[in-house]
Amino acid sequence: MSLLSIRNLHASIGDKEILKGVNLEINEGEVHSIMGPNGNGKSTLAAVIVGNSKFTVTQGEVIFKDKNILDMSVEERAAEGLFLGFQYPVEIPGVSISNFMRTAVNEQRKYRGLDPLSGSEFFKLMEEKKQIVELTSNLASRSVNEGFSGGEKKKNEIFQMAMLDPKLAILDETDSGLDIDALRIVANGVNKLRRPDNATVVITHYQRLLDYIVPDFVHILYEGRIVKTGDKNLALELEKKGYAWIKEELENSAK
Amino acid sequence: MTTTELILSKTAALSTSDGPQSLTALQRQAADFLAENRFAFRKNEVWRNVDFGEFMDDELTSPLPDNSRQTSFSCDIPNLDTTKLTVCNGYYQANAQDSIPNGVIICSLREALDKHPQLVEKVLGQTTPVNNSFLSANTALFTDGVFIYIPDGVAVEKPLQILSVADHDKPMLLQTRNLVYIGKNSQLTLIHCDDSYNHNRCFSNTVTEIVIDEDARLDHYKMQNLNDNSGLINQTFVRMRQNSSLLSNGVSFNGGNIRNHNEIRMDGEHCNVQVHGLYLMDKEQKIDNYVYVEHSHPNCDSYELFKGILDDNAHGSFNGHVLVCDGAFKTNASQSNKNILLTDKATINSKPFLEIYNDDVKCSHGSSIGQLDEQALFYMMQRGIRRHTATTLLMFAFCDEVLKDINIAPLQQQLREMVRRRLQGELTSCDNCVIGCNTNDCHFPIDTSRL
Repeated sequence: MSLLSIRNLHASIGDKEILKGVNLEINEGEVHSIMGPNGNGKSTLAAVIVGNSKFTVTQGEVIFKDKNILDMSVEERAAEGLFLGFQYPVEIPGVSISNFMRTAVNEQRKYRGLDPLSGSEFFKLMEEKKQIVELTSNLASRSVNEGFSGGEKKKNEIFQMAMLDPKLAILDETDSGLDIDALRIVANGVNKLRRPDNATVVITHYQRLLDYIVPDFVHILYEGRIVKTGDKNLALELEKKGYAWIKEELENSAK
Repeated sequence: MTTTELILSKTAALSTSDGPQSLTALQRQAADFLAENRFAFRKNEVWRNVDFGEFMDDELTSPLPDNSRQTSFSCDIPNLDTTKLTVCNGYYQANAQDSIPNGVIICSLREALDKHPQLVEKVLGQTTPVNNSFLSANTALFTDGVFIYIPDGVAVEKPLQILSVADHDKPMLLQTRNLVYIGKNSQLTLIHCDDSYNHNRCFSNTVTEIVIDEDARLDHYKMQNLNDNSGLINQTFVRMRQNSSLLSNGVSFNGGNIRNHNEIRMDGEHCNVQVHGLYLMDKEQKIDNYVYVEHSHPNCDSYELFKGILDDNAHGSFNGHVLVCDGAFKTNASQSNKNILLTDKATINSKPFLEIYNDDVKCSHGSSIGQLDEQALFYMMQRGIRRHTATTLLMFAFCDEVLKDINIAPLQQQLREMVRRRLQGELTSCDNCVIGCNTNDCHFPIDTSRL
């Protein structure tokens, strides 16, 4: 079943057009990987999907679970089941992780017409989900991302994903800044959360992450468009050959 | 007769009277200061942002002692047992006394002047030179107040809680004087609450003088929750002897016009001072925090942290002055003032100021004025938290930096709860106080939806 459908999406920041007609279909149960050179719109695509108001959508549509989400607020999209794993998770001094997550979980439940989780239910859930990314620190006493190492910040993103149980998770360079052990833990965490009724988009530069999170589709985003789509072998080919051949192919086909 | 005229004529009259009302040298000095300077502040840097004109030009009256007014106001802090000392309309109200440790004296200042003049002299006029008109007015004309004397070597376990309340039908001028002496190697926790008993106009010119002797410690908490018609000048003068410590933590929740004026002088080595303040103001409210810290001896530390959120047309100012005198080596001093302005019309004047006549010191100062972190808001909203809730959480976190050093858990909890309620606009005070109390006619929300 179609989960996300992006058609001819154009988006700008200020006068600068960054997305120039993106098309993408994601079904339940699938893992997609988006690759491409720096500065070609990968993070912008993620930001536009979740509703970052820094960017203006000038054309096209984004349909999520049969709803046009471009008119929805950031928090409504989140409560509908969209999750963004941030490339640079934000530090929030003074707000404890448990307070932050409890507020998020209960506000999402409220949006869906569910009763809030009680304190004990919530802490039970939190202890359970901490295991997924082997988080050991006391989350009640630590402020969100404050003083976290790079690895802890990314583990914390996947922990939050586990707590919120989204329909579609977009992970923006979750592998950057991770050592090999942390990479494996984070990737295993993502795999444990895979189900037939949800989907994951992995934005990355490196094939290495895709050894752990095996994608069904690999897309290359270049100059604001998805210019090539293949299976996991496309990522292996990129790793070997770089992006130059993609540019050549595009130039040749333009001629 | 305006308040200004009332004060000037009363002080002038004092200088010619004699008998039991005759002036002490101190009062004469204060009267002279007033006669010369009156209430002209514009040219005085320390009082530049202060404007109590609406009270000084109004016709306020000074109340007489009235024993029939026994206020039942108690300003309870859940799970915290305190010894309550009520000052109603500027007069100390004898409470049923809790048992107090041996040698400790707690009474009205009038009684102390009568019975313990030599102890009063250890504090009265000893903490500050006569340097401003409101201090002079108070010195010349104070009605009464609390006198607290802790002898050497006594750690007073139960916190003392001073409740300053106004309960009167007419607009009033209150001039309360409190004196606190903490003997060598003694400890005291003092909670000072300023509350309105009703919505009437009231202008309180309060002076508290504190002497902290060698190796002694004072934890001083202030909670201010006044109605919008109230003016409060709360001057606290502290003189510290060597090895003594002071933690001062004040929260201004509400009030028409508040001036918190702190002057701290360290007369010995190895003193430690922390002065923290939080202010949450909206509508047309004004808040002005002044902190003067004088480092005259080596090896002393002082830390100032003042944070505030201003909404609507509220106006705030922070004026911090650290003076490091010649010879005060190894001084550590920091000043920090951080503000969030919620509207284009809210204003803050922030002036952290270091004056250093010495090498070998470590001093820092900083000030920030801004809005909430948009990146953090986006991050929180992406997790499904509504903007309104996210802003409240961020503002609460902003405030908590001031509250987290409070040493008494129940008090910290109460203040956190009051901050939370203030930020959510529910109400703003202790549960049985008139201002916010379980009535719906008070509404002073900080409107987070505007962010």
